[in-house]
Amino acid sequence: MWQIFDGRVEISPAFFLLSGWFGLANGWALLGTVVLAAGIHEAGHCLVLLWKGADIRRLRISALGAVLETSSGELSYSAELLAVLAGPAANLAAAAVLTLPEHPPVVEIGVHLMLAAFNLLPLYPLDGGRALDLLVSWAAGPEAGERAARWSAVVTAAGVCAAAVSVMWSTGGSLWLLPAAAGAVGYGAAELRQGHFVK
Amino acid sequence: MTSRRIRRKSGSVVSQVRRHRHTGGVRTSGTDEPLTPRERQRLIQLVVCAGAFVLLVAVKLLLPERMAQVNQWLSDALQKNMDVQSVFSAVGRAFSGQSDLDGAAQEVYRAVFAPETEMAQETAAPAGEIYETAMDALRSYHKESEETGQTEVSASEQTEVSTLAYVRYSDENLPEDVTLEQSILGFDYCTPVSGVISSDFGYREHPVEGEERFHYGVDLAADTGTQIVSFAAGTVSVVGESSSYGKYCIVDHGSGISTLYAHCSRITASSGAAVERGEKIAEVGETGMATGPHLHFEIHKDGEYLNPIYYVADL
Repeated sequence: MWQIFDGRVEISPAFFLLSGWFGLANGWALLGTVVLAAGIHEAGHCLVLLWKGADIRRLRISALGAVLETSSGELSYSAELLAVLAGPAANLAAAAVLTLPEHPPVVEIGVHLMLAAFNLLPLYPLDGGRALDLLVSWAAGPEAGERAARWSAVVTAAGVCAAAVSVMWSTGGSLWLLPAAAGAVGYGAAELRQGHFVK
Repeated sequence: MTSRRIRRKSGSVVSQVRRHRHTGGVRTSGTDEPLTPRERQRLIQLVVCAGAFVLLVAVKLLLPERMAQVNQWLSDALQKNMDVQSVFSAVGRAFSGQSDLDGAAQEVYRAVFAPETEMAQETAAPAGEIYETAMDALRSYHKESEETGQTEVSASEQTEVSTLAYVRYSDENLPEDVTLEQSILGFDYCTPVSGVISSDFGYREHPVEGEERFHYGVDLAADTGTQIVSFAAGTVSVVGESSSYGKYCIVDHGSGISTLYAHCSRITASSGAAVERGEKIAEVGETGMATGPHLHFEIHKDGEYLNPIYYVADL
């Protein structure tokens, strides 16, 4: 792990490796657009967390995305849900703003939309999985929330993995999707392993 | 973000650290102390990696031809990719109202599952002789048209041009969706950019990939920013961006005929806009897979690629 800002930001070597691979396969300009959209996404989370008084301890960036470590334990379900949804909302807002010019930058708009959609997948620890956990916890208690998040993660992970493998098979390439497929399986497996937390 | 989970994970990390401190650093040989899960995992990783290395070396020594095939397959797999840029472009155009959902879905499907059939992709040449006779005939036709210096053609003039420009060719070895026959368009048209033809329609050595491939349009070299005008009156049906075409647009002229303008630095026309013959729609650039500023120009008729050389004149 490469640490900057007194260890408040951690970047894994795998992130640079996957970014380089994506850039070589799809172009460096597109990589820049994706990284910028990801930055706006995380900024959305940070703004709401700071607004709600949470302490952001660390940002960890890995090949599978970025994770914010916070001390948001004292936040209410609604405040935490707001913070979780702020990331995708920031991307949707950016996409909406980008439609305003006479000749909208369609690729940039597409990147923001796809990033928002991907993060809203109900696959813990993506925003969609977290939001599902919080919503169900809010409505039916934390055990039900964890159970819902876990099984939606398992099903979604299987779907994401199957879709990625299908694309790789049909194109005879797109191997840069392999880490995403492996990551989805890893997340799904992690959720399955945590079954003993629910009595 | 959810502190409940973070605390849970932090707790497990701390307990692992404590275990490590408890068990100490260096393991002395001959002790019966069992391996920790972490050590067992490392050992399995080491065995798997060493086994894979030995296996690959053995296969390379014993089956060199098979290994070369595997290398080739891996190399191909690393180079083949879905067109991610085109996917983003399709989604962006649907969201900004430049295309309907059906069209966007079709474009996403094509970019993901069949990027090789995307409009500007070039088809590899078949083995054997490439039809130089046909290409020579087309080149000679082009020289004749250059001498006339004509950049605008009215519908009434086209019958005479067509009669004069009969080209002998064979369809054998041509891609299925290509015709070398000159078609009567039935409307007025003009050359979309003032430039020099730098690459003809037909088989050529790809400037980036290096191999012999079919080029589905003509390249008109011009300075970046040079205005590109609509070939004929019509409606801008697509404004998009892909990794191969860069920024491109398609103008639908009706009767199954459309024209494509690729590698633009800027598209100035909006999707759905009605344009007149000669009206500015874009500017020359080198976006996408290009080695210099030029316009890649294609003419499509009922799903077939026409040879634009019949309809354009260069400087």
